[in-house]
Amino acid sequence: MQKAGTIIHMAAAGAPHRLSRFADWADRNFRWLLVAPAVLLILALSVYPLLFSLVVSFINYDFQVPGHAFVGLKNFSMVVFDPVARWSLLLTAILSGVSVAIEFVLGLAVALIMVRSFPGRGLIMSILIVPLFISPVIVGQAWTLLLQRPFGPTNYILGALLGREVTIGWLTESPWLYISLIVADVWQWTPFMFVILLAGLTSIPPNLYEAAELDGVNAWQAFWAITVPHLAPMMLLALTFRLLDAIRMFDTIFIMTGGGPGTSTYTASFYLYTVGFTQFHLSQATAGSWLFLIFTALVVTLLVRRLLKPETT
Amino acid sequence: MAAVRPARRPRRSAVPLLRFLLLGFFLLFVLWPLYWMFNTSVKPSDDYLAMPPVWFPDAPTLVHYWAAMFTYRGLEGLINSLIVSLSATALSALLGTLMAYSLARYNTGGQHLSFWVLSQRFLPPIGIILPVFLIYRQIGLYDTHIGLIIAYTVFTLPVSVWMMFAYFRGMPRSMEEAALVDGCTRWEAFWRVAVPLAAPGIVAAAVFAFIACWTEFFFALLLTSRTAFTLPTVFRAFVGFQGAQYGEAAALAIVSLVPSIALGILAQKHLVRGLTLGAVRG
Repeated sequence: MQKAGTIIHMAAAGAPHRLSRFADWADRNFRWLLVAPAVLLILALSVYPLLFSLVVSFINYDFQVPGHAFVGLKNFSMVVFDPVARWSLLLTAILSGVSVAIEFVLGLAVALIMVRSFPGRGLIMSILIVPLFISPVIVGQAWTLLLQRPFGPTNYILGALLGREVTIGWLTESPWLYISLIVADVWQWTPFMFVILLAGLTSIPPNLYEAAELDGVNAWQAFWAITVPHLAPMMLLALTFRLLDAIRMFDTIFIMTGGGPGTSTYTASFYLYTVGFTQFHLSQATAGSWLFLIFTALVVTLLVRRLLKPETT
Repeated sequence: MAAVRPARRPRRSAVPLLRFLLLGFFLLFVLWPLYWMFNTSVKPSDDYLAMPPVWFPDAPTLVHYWAAMFTYRGLEGLINSLIVSLSATALSALLGTLMAYSLARYNTGGQHLSFWVLSQRFLPPIGIILPVFLIYRQIGLYDTHIGLIIAYTVFTLPVSVWMMFAYFRGMPRSMEEAALVDGCTRWEAFWRVAVPLAAPGIVAAAVFAFIACWTEFFFALLLTSRTAFTLPTVFRAFVGFQGAQYGEAAALAIVSLVPSIALGILAQKHLVRGLTLGAVRG
């Protein structure tokens, strides 16, 4: 090892002058050369498009209206005063809030069960994480197969359980289609909560529980006095990460309801997609996506930075 | 997922029973859609509307797989998905490792650079897709493999960088320092010493990048159409149809979920790091 290193170094020193000057320069700026490719790529495909869309959101860029005149805040006001846009934002908040809350409670319950060792635990673990590796499109397709009338077996099973005929249009009738979308999201992402919370639970020192038991503390009190405070940072991390992904909800809606009936299942992403890619009001869509971005950026800077800080120092 | 707390002293109560009931129900909830999808994919079309539903088809058939692969161009989608996902994964792992090493060992750009990369992970794709679409149309990258590979590389970079960032920070510097003292250049200390030592971390990061590309729908939907379309976008063909395509959709889903589930279960012990961008060691 040592000898090989020395030989390489001497070879470099004996190389032609120009080459060694380049090698010296590369060695001095090594750390910048390493980050350069990734940074340039992100600049080209993320920062540049963002700036481009900022420009587009202040001009007319519409496949239905010719010209690129400066229109000030018109595009923004078209989004802000569009009732469909407001509805989609409200629906995004409701769907993601309810889904994430259910995922959190269910994920925590399963994590509390799985933290103990029992026979078959490894196999069950492998099964429980499967939904994380499936495309949301396929999740939407799988639930469509289960719910769509008349093919899906859900109404039949419910009918057999309840003892009367059930004829719910799971993907077309009003409260049920929201429930269907939430169920699909819960199915896919409860494992996310579960995996992170389980990692947090296993890192709580067991002797805390032993000491509590000696003091005569019951399991419920121990949960609130030991588990919750120790798990709090992990809970916050899991909730933040999940929420930031949940507000993008698009794929399952595209497959399961197509935004319909009418505009009743438009989420923010689906609304912006429709405005931009099916109606071709590009400047209105970019203005809307900037508003949406500002909202997410606030959450990211306020929460995520704080969450990940201790680990980076 | 590493340490398991030993089972505590059993108590006489209904609580353990409730626990296993809840776990049982949850397992059923997870497995049921997967089973029904598989069942649909091998079920003859005549059984679709049977009442009561056919739970176990008597004469399973592969006809839907055949139709999904050839009539609905699933095979082309599969090949495109493989090309795009593998290339983007390789690029993302390579560029991510380069950047993460610089961040971890030289603290390049301080916290600002690392958090700037992280913030890309939380950028809603709808925010950049319109301009990317317009730019791609203009420079001829729309509906090309290269265009999608570049998009996927950028979209997986934050996770690759942060997973490797955490990995390098957890690795002792002494071997690289010894190499530098021996007269290696910084590049040699990185490429010949640090990278081989970090290989398990790189593989784990690559697996998660691959799964992310393989399951991605949004970019593929809007940046490709008839040539570079990936497997998830083939499902567009089944949207809104009433009737005959259930088997094809199910068959295509089964084909597409096998690789990502297999890889995911193999990389199970890195899962917590993958989901939390390296912030939590599982």
